[in-house]
Amino acid sequence: MESMLEPSPAISVLDLRKVYADKAAVDGLTLSVPRGCFFGFLGPNGAGKTTTIRMLMGLAPPTSGSIEVLGLPMPGRAVEIKRKIGVVPDESVLFDRLTGREFLEFVGRMYTLERRVAAERARELLGLFELQSSPKKLIAEYSKGMRKRLAMAAALIHRPDLFLMDEPFEGVDAVGARLMKDLLIDQVRRGATIFLTSHVLEVVERLCDRVAIIHQGRLVMEGEMAGLRNGSETLEDAFVRLVGAERTLETLDWL
Amino acid sequence: MPSQLFAILWAQWKALRNFRPAEGRAGRLLGLLMALIWYGMWAMVGLGAYLATATLDPERLRIGVPWGLMAVFFYWQLAPILSASLGATIDIKKLLLYPIPVGQLFAMELLLRATAGMEMLLVMAGGAAGLLRNPAIPFWGPLVAVPLFIAFNLFTAAGVRNLLERLLAYKHVREALVFLFVLAAALPQILIYSGMPRRLRGFFSQSPFLLWPWTAGGHLALAERVLPSLVLLAVWTALAYVFGLVQFHRGLHFDFAARAAADRNVPRDRGFVEALYRAPRLLLSDPLAALLEKELRSLSRTPRFRLVFLMGFSFGVLIWWPLLHTSADPAGSGGSFPILISVYALVLLAEAVIWNVFGFDRSAAQLYFSAPVPFWKVLAGKNLAALVVIVLEITLVMLVCVLVRLPMPAPKILEAYLVTLVICLYLLAAGNLTSLYYPRPVNPEHSLGRASGGKVALLLLLTYPVLGIPVLLAYAARFAFDSQAAFYGVLAFSAACGAVVYGVAMDSALATAEIRQERLLAALGESSGPVVTE
Repeated sequence: MESMLEPSPAISVLDLRKVYADKAAVDGLTLSVPRGCFFGFLGPNGAGKTTTIRMLMGLAPPTSGSIEVLGLPMPGRAVEIKRKIGVVPDESVLFDRLTGREFLEFVGRMYTLERRVAAERARELLGLFELQSSPKKLIAEYSKGMRKRLAMAAALIHRPDLFLMDEPFEGVDAVGARLMKDLLIDQVRRGATIFLTSHVLEVVERLCDRVAIIHQGRLVMEGEMAGLRNGSETLEDAFVRLVGAERTLETLDWL
Repeated sequence: MPSQLFAILWAQWKALRNFRPAEGRAGRLLGLLMALIWYGMWAMVGLGAYLATATLDPERLRIGVPWGLMAVFFYWQLAPILSASLGATIDIKKLLLYPIPVGQLFAMELLLRATAGMEMLLVMAGGAAGLLRNPAIPFWGPLVAVPLFIAFNLFTAAGVRNLLERLLAYKHVREALVFLFVLAAALPQILIYSGMPRRLRGFFSQSPFLLWPWTAGGHLALAERVLPSLVLLAVWTALAYVFGLVQFHRGLHFDFAARAAADRNVPRDRGFVEALYRAPRLLLSDPLAALLEKELRSLSRTPRFRLVFLMGFSFGVLIWWPLLHTSADPAGSGGSFPILISVYALVLLAEAVIWNVFGFDRSAAQLYFSAPVPFWKVLAGKNLAALVVIVLEITLVMLVCVLVRLPMPAPKILEAYLVTLVICLYLLAAGNLTSLYYPRPVNPEHSLGRASGGKVALLLLLTYPVLGIPVLLAYAARFAFDSQAAFYGVLAFSAACGAVVYGVAMDSALATAEIRQERLLAALGESSGPVVTE
């Protein structure tokens, strides 16, 4: 009876596999992300983080295994899931020939917000992310950091329950990153779940309650941040140890 | 109409209105003018259909209308492919992030198929209006048949497009298919020049097979055999709907990334081919050799380039073939066909290697400005690569001409090389400027589509005759003085002038690159709105 009342995890992945041309990018991943959690998904380059997050977003079908997002099966009930999630993918999903405001309004309307509400929220989000100074500027003319901030604003416009973010802080300046972090912490406080990948381990260390590390498509470790580190280890030390990348510094003669 | 569909159309309208920095108002106006001319022409065809259907007697309409509808069907399904474009499409990759029901995306797809078949909508509107005016035809016939036939075409077009898009994701299938389509485009020309075979003429003088959708549509439009025709056309439309929807669904779930990864697993060139790529370093010093080597490697791995290269010596020969066979004295015409074919091949190749030289580099073009390489060397490297592929193309044209036994006197072979290279010199001069003034990112993986924008296309239409004048002068000299020496003398003079023009254009291009560097890089890094055109 008690288990029936427990909310389903925000994300539940079981034996997930994704194979590209005979090579498994994700290989038997099983993972559970509790609701209301700030979850860091880490791994070296090519570990399968982006592939996993793309499958969670419904952008790539898994080769095998199952995904449940907010208690609903993906891709079976993809439309319902997408209504409840906010996404910041790693690649550009912005339409370069729209202005920031037009894009945000467009995204709001994609989430079936009333046109008036979408326009109002777009204006407010532009202000919040300090993108309102040049309203006629096309997204094509935005810097990388501005694009990331805009993508984050777009992820927030419909007040989602779950955020899926692939390298959200990449290319963002310190002020922008601070703002984004504060906003995300605020979202977790109101009960939203954050699932993010990042190479900036200091950020993950400071923000996340739980962490999973993936290497060569397989889960190496998953648990609470505190349980991950040995003694005085930093997250970086633990990460390097867990993915087996410890080595002495080598250099090239000419370098 | 659902709100998300409205939002997509709204965003697309905004994206179109926010013109690209590289084009500007003049570009948009020229594009509009070209669209007006094109659709004006089709409006004339629609008027012709109106006059024909309004005045012809039912006996002749019984044969003509089904064939007309068949022509509409084939144009609607194949024209976007033959014109090297699959038409506009929803940018599914970006829209899949949002909670849009598949039904709405499919409705959007149908709307876009309607825009891809706008010419046929004009023709059908004309034909339907004519039938409505024809006193011998009951008015309800076209009112029932035409919308049903349009729906049948839209569903089929959606299915065909999505099926093709998936097939084209398979690298080798893509190139073979595109090549076959292109070759098929020469078929009508061959039929027209060689005269339609008698059997084929007899075939078209009778009504088509009863069970075809166009026959059913034709009968229904003329209010004849009403019930069986209505049932038949409804069944065809339902089948087309299922086909369209199934293909659209498969397209949605098709993993293009997985497909691309499979293609990337193919081992790269080794041995002889690798030695060919490395040949520039034997003749030139770096960075020119490195630039040329990079161009040759990337061009040969670019499906879009491979297609035009292949077309030059295959489609190029095919399209001029009827002219040769209808010529009264092909040998007497001095075996000029290899020259024509070579120049035609040059025009085809120019699209990929001359007019928009940074198109395939896209964002990577910034390397040319950040590396310590004089910019003239970058342009020279690209121009040298163009020259290499053009010489190779002419050689292949000559070989194909020998294989198909075209008259090939030795002086004409020399003439083909010289004439093509002199024209090429002028094209390169102009191309260096258009590449900097009208840069456009081009996806090298897509075999279809244009490498230059609408404005450049119109500009080229006007430019080609001008750039051909120096060579035409050489031919005029030969005609006037009846002398080969006069011809080669003027050609040599044209080549010398071409070298000067090239030098001046290069200086201008370098100055332009300095000024427009930022705009160039911004334009090459652009992507489009929710609806993309391929």
